[in-house]
Amino acid sequence: MSKNRRFNPDRDVNPWKGAYRPYDIAKEVTVCFIVVALLVIVLSALFGSPDVKSVTLKSWSNADRVDFATTAIAELDGTSGTATYGAPYNNVAGSGQKVGPVSLVNLMGVHIPVNPSADFVINPLTTVTGQPALSKALATFKAASPAQQAKWEKAYEDAVAKAKVVNNTLVVPAGPYGPVGVLIGELTSMATSGALDTSIINSSGFYSTDYTKSLLFVADSGYLANKGAAEHLSGDQWGMMNGTANYPGQPWLWLYTLWYQVPPFSTSWSANADALVWAFMMVLTALLFFVPLIPGLRSIPRWSRIYRLIWRDYYKGRV
Amino acid sequence: MFASISLALGAIFNLMGSGHYIHWGFVQISVANLLVIVLMVVTFFAAILIPFRHKSGGKS
Repeated sequence: MSKNRRFNPDRDVNPWKGAYRPYDIAKEVTVCFIVVALLVIVLSALFGSPDVKSVTLKSWSNADRVDFATTAIAELDGTSGTATYGAPYNNVAGSGQKVGPVSLVNLMGVHIPVNPSADFVINPLTTVTGQPALSKALATFKAASPAQQAKWEKAYEDAVAKAKVVNNTLVVPAGPYGPVGVLIGELTSMATSGALDTSIINSSGFYSTDYTKSLLFVADSGYLANKGAAEHLSGDQWGMMNGTANYPGQPWLWLYTLWYQVPPFSTSWSANADALVWAFMMVLTALLFFVPLIPGLRSIPRWSRIYRLIWRDYYKGRV
Repeated sequence: MFASISLALGAIFNLMGSGHYIHWGFVQISVANLLVIVLMVVTFFAAILIPFRHKSGGKS
């Protein structure tokens, strides 16, 4: 590096010629720790913490059997949100958000394979024993052609739109839906008893703590979407920065969620908003990261002179 | 015992219930978040404006 480089006030510093005073940083760390710990204890005692019960397949199906059956038939016929999502869960032509011509999620490919029809409906029902009607319905459904299955599924979708709950039982109007009525009816019974939660979680292994599949199933429901919207957690409600009830959330995410609310992210770019907002935030993060190297931007602290306000005693009387 | 203590303490201010939100144009913010932001801004300006405690002397 040349020693004759011109002095740059944003890059170079003059050697300190003033007074020094001792400073105990260990003392500062200890005092800060004690103050923050006391604040945490006092605020926890005063306000507690959010206590919103988790939504499970059991709680959802008991709260809204019709919504559960409606979602279940969408999982079976492959029209649900998860079934049509694409990577990383499944291969769906044309899926995957893009930044320009690049779809990062498709570059990563399918690495958490989920087949909603099998994983959420058929496989859990297969674990049920001692129910001849269910076994027969399963065998009939599996033996049918895809075209026949699609006809039954469509007929059930039409019927379940008029379904009711009578005495805590799902009542679907009669229709030409073949074995699908038994399948979804039994799946609903499994869900209300809690057996479906166990079956789907255990499908990943006996000691599994992988809730991906049951969470995806619940996420496809109208029930969870309504609960989220009621708590102001949806994307168009600045949900990313909100907490539940009257607790503060993540206000530091204001900038990230802001872009979802304004054009073109909220209008013409909305189909790829997640990827585009992420990419835009990466650009802003890079700008922040490289501030010391960006002419003009790096001079703002010097121009704004806030440092002279902080160290006003030192700068008193100095130019 | 722990349950009864936490119940007694946690019930001093019950923040569960429907959240309160402020709408201003396309901006929507919870009162709780706004309060946290205001406290952060107040702390920031307090840190700048409250004078340092002076100690006499200094070593050169």
